[in-house]
Amino acid sequence: MVGLSVGEKHFIQGGIAQDLRSDGRKRLTYRPIYVETGVIPQANGSARVRMGATDVIASVKAELGKPIPLQPDKGKVAIYVDCSPTAAPMFEGRGGEELSTELSNALQRCLLGGKSGAGAGIDLSSLVVIEGKICWDLYIDGLVVSSDGNLLDALGAAIKAALSNTGIPKVHVAVGASGSEQPEVDISDEEFLQFDTSGVPVIVTLTKVGRHYIVDATSEEESQMSSAVSVSVNRQGRICGLTKRGGAGLDPSIILDMISVAKHVSEQLINKLDSEIAAAEACEDES
Amino acid sequence: MRGIQLSLNQTQKLRLQRALEQLESLSSKANSNASVTIADTIPVNYEDGVLKGHGTSELDGEVVATMCGVVERVNKLVYVRALRARYKPEIGDIIVGRVIEVAPKRWRLEINFSQDAVLMLSSMNLPDGIQRRRTAVDELNMRSIFEENDVICAEVRGFQHDGSLHLQARSQKYGKLERGQLLTVPPYLVKRRKQHFHNLEQYGIDLILGCNGFIWVGEHIEAKDPMVEDQVNKSEQQNTKSSKNFTRLEEQEQTYTPPETRQNICRTANAVRVLSTLGFNITVEVITETVELSSSLNLDIHEMLGSEFCVLVAEREAERRRLLTKKKG
Repeated sequence: MVGLSVGEKHFIQGGIAQDLRSDGRKRLTYRPIYVETGVIPQANGSARVRMGATDVIASVKAELGKPIPLQPDKGKVAIYVDCSPTAAPMFEGRGGEELSTELSNALQRCLLGGKSGAGAGIDLSSLVVIEGKICWDLYIDGLVVSSDGNLLDALGAAIKAALSNTGIPKVHVAVGASGSEQPEVDISDEEFLQFDTSGVPVIVTLTKVGRHYIVDATSEEESQMSSAVSVSVNRQGRICGLTKRGGAGLDPSIILDMISVAKHVSEQLINKLDSEIAAAEACEDES
Repeated sequence: MRGIQLSLNQTQKLRLQRALEQLESLSSKANSNASVTIADTIPVNYEDGVLKGHGTSELDGEVVATMCGVVERVNKLVYVRALRARYKPEIGDIIVGRVIEVAPKRWRLEINFSQDAVLMLSSMNLPDGIQRRRTAVDELNMRSIFEENDVICAEVRGFQHDGSLHLQARSQKYGKLERGQLLTVPPYLVKRRKQHFHNLEQYGIDLILGCNGFIWVGEHIEAKDPMVEDQVNKSEQQNTKSSKNFTRLEEQEQTYTPPETRQNICRTANAVRVLSTLGFNITVEVITETVELSSSLNLDIHEMLGSEFCVLVAEREAERRRLLTKKKG
């Protein structure tokens, strides 16, 4: 990222204080979001989301596997993010690894709930085929193609869009064979089950600059932040995950305030995202 | 140079295509004859003797082009000029650059060129304005003039023997740029004109169109002549400047740009972004027209970056060009 002079930093902080950012947005306005679904035909589901100059792609691949013994009635989901070196010069070689791990962990926290699986945004029990024996493993991969701030929100939106685009093949289980490892399973070629994404949360990142919070920060604004809190909220207004980054400490009352602001912003974001995803799917059906 | 991603629906795509086709048809016909692609033969009168310049090569006794562009002829010299080339500095160009390094007796600036430009300490006015030889103390105080990451406006002085590019900033209008934002556009969109410094009085902002594609939009600041100012005033200002770094948040807030000016700055910056996405030449007239168009439509400033406004700007430009050619012909 290019450095900023003292004058430019002052200008950005002044803009945020006066509710008029460098590109004319208000503090709680998102950049225009563009969603394309079905960009990777080999995957079970995929989506590409663009917010300004930030460009991310998410893909979902489903494979049959064995559920973990402690939770026999749940499937497994693994989320992994990769920052492509083309996104920014600092991602060259192994530079992007730290950021990738951070994003993967944040997404796992926001979408998959705690270690016991409680409070997961994605309903894992819908992924089970035969309890205790066979379940679907979802591998969700995110790729950051171009980075201009607010990667977490974009990845969250892309994963939501990719999941709504995902078709899990219908599995016919042969009756009989009890106790043995492999009951015969027949995976149908006609993709049948559309994944239910009404419960999948969206992630809203609030970046604190000075005394105010902004939503959807560009990379210039992110360089000025003191701290950032990412809240994942679902359609019912329930919080599914919380992540804080940045070196500055925050008073608990500020965090509570940020959570309420995030809930307020998430309503519009969910509606906008759902309409964009529906439009993208309609576009894909036509072509 | 990342642009705005435009997502256009069907009607918008058609309208934009129609406007761009109209603009293409209105462009002067002479260029289309002179444009060449790689391996095209360049028609040349061989009896006169011909000097093969950049972008040409001899193949089987014929002069062929080695890059895509427009053929230019100057007396016996024939060369191919690319349309979308990197920034090519010429003496006297006004450029905007960012300091990346403070080196002995010079600053290195990044100016969107293949190498970094150099601004010598001797090519820069000293803060007290006196013309004198630069001493070692001046060299130690270079950071008080320009620091790393500062945005500076300067003029190209020329190329040195070793190939490096030198700048000079001796006039009052050159120097550090504060209180505004820097935009990056492709350098071929900014053509060389008589004036690159524009003071848009009706908006109260300064607009500097750097030939290297860096455009500065900021609050209007009166160029101060240090020789005229009182010495006492100067020292007072320097004191407040050094304590500025430690002021509380409220005091800092008082020095923010007033909201009216900030709105104008953001509108102008968005106009430049839209023009850069559409690939139109960036001049002061087009920028002011775009800003007026957006105010007349009562658009929110951030909506200027949406697809509808882009299509409107393209249509408006096609209309303007059409009227211009009508007036001429």
